[in-house]
Amino acid sequence: MSRLKSLIVPSVRCIVHRRYCSTERVTNALVTEYRNDIFEEEKRRQQGMVRRLEKIEVVHVGPNDPGTFIMNKNLSTPYHCAMHISETYTKYSVLAMVNGEPWDMWRPLTEDCELSFVRFRDKHPEEANKSYWRSCALILGAVMETAFKDTIYVQLARALELPIIKGMFVYDVDLGLKDWTPAKDNLRSLSLSAITMKSKDLPFERLEVDPSLAIRLFQHSQYKQREVEERVRGGRVTLYRMGKFIDIHDGPMMSKSSLVSMFTVAGIHELPGGLYRVQAISLPHDFYLHSSVWNKLVKRASVPLVGDLSTAGVDESWRETKSSAA
Amino acid sequence: MRLSLMLLITHGKRQRKLGGGKPQRLNILRRVVTGLVRHERIESTYAQCDEAKFYAERLIDYAKLGNTNAGAMRIADYWITEKDLIPKLFETLAPRFAEHDGRYCRLYRLPVTTQNTRDMAVLEYKGNPYPSLRPIPKNHPNSIANILVEGLRQDYEKKMEIDMKDQPAA
Repeated sequence: MSRLKSLIVPSVRCIVHRRYCSTERVTNALVTEYRNDIFEEEKRRQQGMVRRLEKIEVVHVGPNDPGTFIMNKNLSTPYHCAMHISETYTKYSVLAMVNGEPWDMWRPLTEDCELSFVRFRDKHPEEANKSYWRSCALILGAVMETAFKDTIYVQLARALELPIIKGMFVYDVDLGLKDWTPAKDNLRSLSLSAITMKSKDLPFERLEVDPSLAIRLFQHSQYKQREVEERVRGGRVTLYRMGKFIDIHDGPMMSKSSLVSMFTVAGIHELPGGLYRVQAISLPHDFYLHSSVWNKLVKRASVPLVGDLSTAGVDESWRETKSSAA
Repeated sequence: MRLSLMLLITHGKRQRKLGGGKPQRLNILRRVVTGLVRHERIESTYAQCDEAKFYAERLIDYAKLGNTNAGAMRIADYWITEKDLIPKLFETLAPRFAEHDGRYCRLYRLPVTTQNTRDMAVLEYKGNPYPSLRPIPKNHPNSIANILVEGLRQDYEKKMEIDMKDQPAA
């Protein structure tokens, strides 16, 4: 009876919601579509809120190509400024520094400011490196969401923020499987998925939303809803979208997925509590490491990392367990 | 030709014959050395640059004695044909190499463009104001690749430490 009811009386809120009647199984594809619909709607709404085109002066204070740009307030992003300078700025800039603060390349500028771009080979690329590591964790999440068959519903739990010298970035995933160890081929196909994302050249779009909207967006994942509550900053929450993958994170991300050159999923191991920890390592474009060095790094990244996920952001209390092979 | 193997090959002859005859050879080399003192980087044939390098470095050694030294002034007077450069030698070039103990010059060979041209070279005094002819390799200590490899190195060192600790017990 309830099944018929849900078919006859569709939900008024969102047409897609009708698909989530009790007969329909929740799959990652449907959840992704649902999230994208909400994201698109909110993005259009926020763009519509910019009624008047006000102009701001953006001064480029990098070492080369000085200049002042007259850009649109709340619409123009550092990426658009880079487009005014040259193609190399759009292709190779990782992050923008607005008034000395790290700023996403796709985040709209809000006032007159000083702008400079950070690349991986700068003298002080620390901010670019951190944003790269965060973005790679996001790419890993995207890979995990799309890699499995429809029969398995993958819920992303948390991306731990690790320092680069640790040699890996990590995403905890709820697969709903028990005692699963990935084969070498599985890891390879996951790595290749990540490389296809790099070739699609997807930008990391940023959207600041209300926590209530974020909770509605992530209604199919309790982990993400908990993360929304933890990541509220100034009454807002930041969502990032890469292609069709949407996730929540504070920090600035790199500009495009094409800045990756190598990406290897090193290992997946089960944590006490049922979650699976996916560990991977990546290298940005324009850096070349010999395969012997890369294999050593992958081997180092495949060492299982065991730690608790109680805090969002930098996790200080990780503890290493070295496998007997290492 | 100051290498001992070359001396074996040339049967003990240390000098090239330039210009045909000893005074002509020295005149040519005087001109090369004067040009070097004026411009601090000159381009000439490899033979002339190689021969002049020895005299250019000896000139600096003499100039280090100071312009009050009569011997140094005579040498400088002979070797530098344009007399406005003698103060430059004593006041600019000699103090620049005060802490150095020799090897004041750098000799680069230029690429051979066609078959029938002479081998060209660039002779320069070190510390000249021009940008370097060789690209200076930039180090990127804070780049991601280097940080990852540094992580590997730290792991290796830790492992070595543990192995060293185990050694005396075993």
